[in-house]
Amino acid sequence: MRLQVRGRLRSRRSRVIVLIGLLGPGLIAANAGNDAGGIATYSEVGAKYGYTLLWAMLLITLSLALTQRSAARMGVVTGKGLSELIRERYGIRWSAFATLCVLVGNFGICISDFVGVGAALGLAGVPAQVSVPIAALGIWLIIVRGSYRSAERVFIWLTIPFFAYPIAAILAHPDWGEVGHALIVPQVHSSPTFLLLFVAMAGTTITPYMQLYLQSAVVERGATEEDLKNESREAVGGAIFADLIAVFIIIATGATLYVGGIHSIGSAADAAKALEPFAGQYAELLFGIGLLGASLLAAAILPIATSYVVAESLGFEKGIGRRSEEAPVFMGLITAMIVVATIIAMVPGVPVIALLIGVQVVNGLLLPVNLFFIWRLARNEELMGEHRNRGPVDWLTAATVAITSALSLILVMVTVSGL
Amino acid sequence: MPAIAPVDAPEVLHLSLVLGGTLRDAEGARLGRVDDLIVRLGGAGYPPITGFLTTVAGRRSYVPAERVATVTPGAVTLTKAKLDLRPFARRPDEVLLKHDVLDHQLINVEGARLVRANEVELARLDGWWRVVGVDTGARGGLRRLLPKALAGRIATGDFVDWASLEPFSGDLPAMRLRVLHPKLAKLHPAQIADLVEAASRDEGEEIMQALGGDERLEADVFEELDPRRRLELLAERTDAEVAELLARMAPDDAADLVADLDEGRREAVVELLPEGARRKVRALLGFDPAAAGGLMSPDFVSVYRQATVAEALDRVRRSRLPDEVLATIWVMDARHRFLGAVPLATLVRADPEAGVVDLEVAYLPRLRPDADFEEIARLMADFNLTAAAVVDDAERMIGVVTVDDVLEVLLPKGWRRRFGLLGED
Repeated sequence: MRLQVRGRLRSRRSRVIVLIGLLGPGLIAANAGNDAGGIATYSEVGAKYGYTLLWAMLLITLSLALTQRSAARMGVVTGKGLSELIRERYGIRWSAFATLCVLVGNFGICISDFVGVGAALGLAGVPAQVSVPIAALGIWLIIVRGSYRSAERVFIWLTIPFFAYPIAAILAHPDWGEVGHALIVPQVHSSPTFLLLFVAMAGTTITPYMQLYLQSAVVERGATEEDLKNESREAVGGAIFADLIAVFIIIATGATLYVGGIHSIGSAADAAKALEPFAGQYAELLFGIGLLGASLLAAAILPIATSYVVAESLGFEKGIGRRSEEAPVFMGLITAMIVVATIIAMVPGVPVIALLIGVQVVNGLLLPVNLFFIWRLARNEELMGEHRNRGPVDWLTAATVAITSALSLILVMVTVSGL
Repeated sequence: MPAIAPVDAPEVLHLSLVLGGTLRDAEGARLGRVDDLIVRLGGAGYPPITGFLTTVAGRRSYVPAERVATVTPGAVTLTKAKLDLRPFARRPDEVLLKHDVLDHQLINVEGARLVRANEVELARLDGWWRVVGVDTGARGGLRRLLPKALAGRIATGDFVDWASLEPFSGDLPAMRLRVLHPKLAKLHPAQIADLVEAASRDEGEEIMQALGGDERLEADVFEELDPRRRLELLAERTDAEVAELLARMAPDDAADLVADLDEGRREAVVELLPEGARRKVRALLGFDPAAAGGLMSPDFVSVYRQATVAEALDRVRRSRLPDEVLATIWVMDARHRFLGAVPLATLVRADPEAGVVDLEVAYLPRLRPDADFEEIARLMADFNLTAAAVVDDAERMIGVVTVDDVLEVLLPKGWRRRFGLLGED
């Protein structure tokens, strides 16, 4: 006899959850890399160098897929967040150092996303001094009132206009032979700007908060070892998908701005021109909506994720929807980040694109620190047992750490020596 | 530091000042480095240090506590001039303070929450060093971030006494607690459930295992867990174990749990239930979980209208149902049709010879199995009820919906949210 399943309601609900799962943390985390800073960086890369840096995106995607996969697997196997693992394995000093790096990097991104909100609404003629404080207040209320989860879904839908990039890229009729060549044959320019953009590109694509977010998300989902394959696949799939969009942003910008003789992006309006082959006169509108959604999404996730990391590694009470008396440090940090970012984004005449890219450079510089811990933890037998990273996966992760470290060092040396 | 301590106060030490310190022989010559301290749990009082893990000439070695003369900030001194190296084999009730406790989460029974040990505090009691508690505050953390020279000056911050702490065994399944620790037993099942939800999966599993000895408590905690955690824990148990657990739960919670199980497992688990529980669970499974039929519990005490107060009270005494179910005694006629209810307090105060019919609340509303949340809540609010009867088409009473069943669903979303970067809606 089969049991009567009471509540078909229940199974219908779980089916919806599965659907939302496809828009799950793997994709959200990786796609959050395509925020204001990401779009500015990819657009600048496309405008400045055309397709020539596409090969780097292939390598960066491989690295991103590996690190996201490691983070997801650590979440599944240990059931603990990344900063918690660093704390428990390496002690408070290393954990404080890693946390500081995340704090600095995330704070930068948080600023850049409020700047992004200002720039997006600036396209519609709303001055940043008006739009940013309103957006900030809204985000703060969403976080404090704890309706973050539903807001996140709205923000994700707002990022859909960015799916116009692949179409715009195709309609712009790029020289596909050239694109293919650029994807496979590495081309290097020996200029500090090139290095800077390279680091910014790595920094914005493999942002540490994405791994932290993904691992915590997997833990909170309660994934078990049976889900290991699915979670790994989703992490890798999300990484590839997000980077595909990034590649098309570069191609679209390369085929329009670079080919059209515009070699640097000064404002959001410049960047929006890449969508013209698809949207024509509506390019700015489309770009503006996408930028707004992406910026709001990241501007809401970042303060929460950052406070999580700090609370987790230093052992404070945490959790959104908690009253500030219950988790003073946690809520205080969120508020402080939003307030300071808002004030900076309101400064009149702030060089939007330069600031956005600058933040990604800082993230690129700090990237090796967290990657190092991910590499060490994911290959740790005591922690990961039979699911630890081994063989090629481990070597490639190590190579990612080595290459990003080398890039960061070179960039610092170049900057210091003023080359 | 010990020099300025008053005579009566025990000497105290911060673990971070001992770790990384020098291992010296009796003459004061440097032998190696102190890596970790081993304590034995399980005994009464504060756990004593039973040994030291050290690195001597690049090799890990173990120094039993008997061979150590003094422990001071920065140095551990031996009783003898010579050191005999021996390998370390951990006994089942031992933990390593740095590896397992420092920087890890512990259960703080006071307030039932998880805390992270920023520092471990040691004190010399009854002639030897023991763990007396941990520092969960910023100061403990700050001390360890600062260079050694400054670190000694930082006083203890938020001290939590070891008497209210329970560590996790970490990655050593062999030493997991098999019996329920008395510290945990003092908590309410809902508090233990909160702890399980806040802990990582392995830690949560460890808490549940520790409850294994007390089957009733384990079932109570299960009832309080959020559905996802429940499923995670169930996934790791066999059908027989799940059935055993369900048999001890309230039937309405058991039915909820069965409905949450994988479709393939449901029938097998229900088949393994004892006869009575199986019948109740099957009946409940037929109802919509979001209506009175799905919310109700089929467990209640009822008497016929002819019964006296003394007889009704006797039924209560002999009942094996949990206390909260017995707050209301239900009255029915000879054909099991619902008539009314009498609060337990009324019975206790009344003349034992009086008939229950005289005490019974004159008019009481009843619910159909398909009544939804709003209907139930409105009815309970209007009539000031904590429990309402559910009747079938023939007016026969089939179950009771209690206020806690409804309250849980009707709480505003924000109130129920306890954590969550991604807390479910």
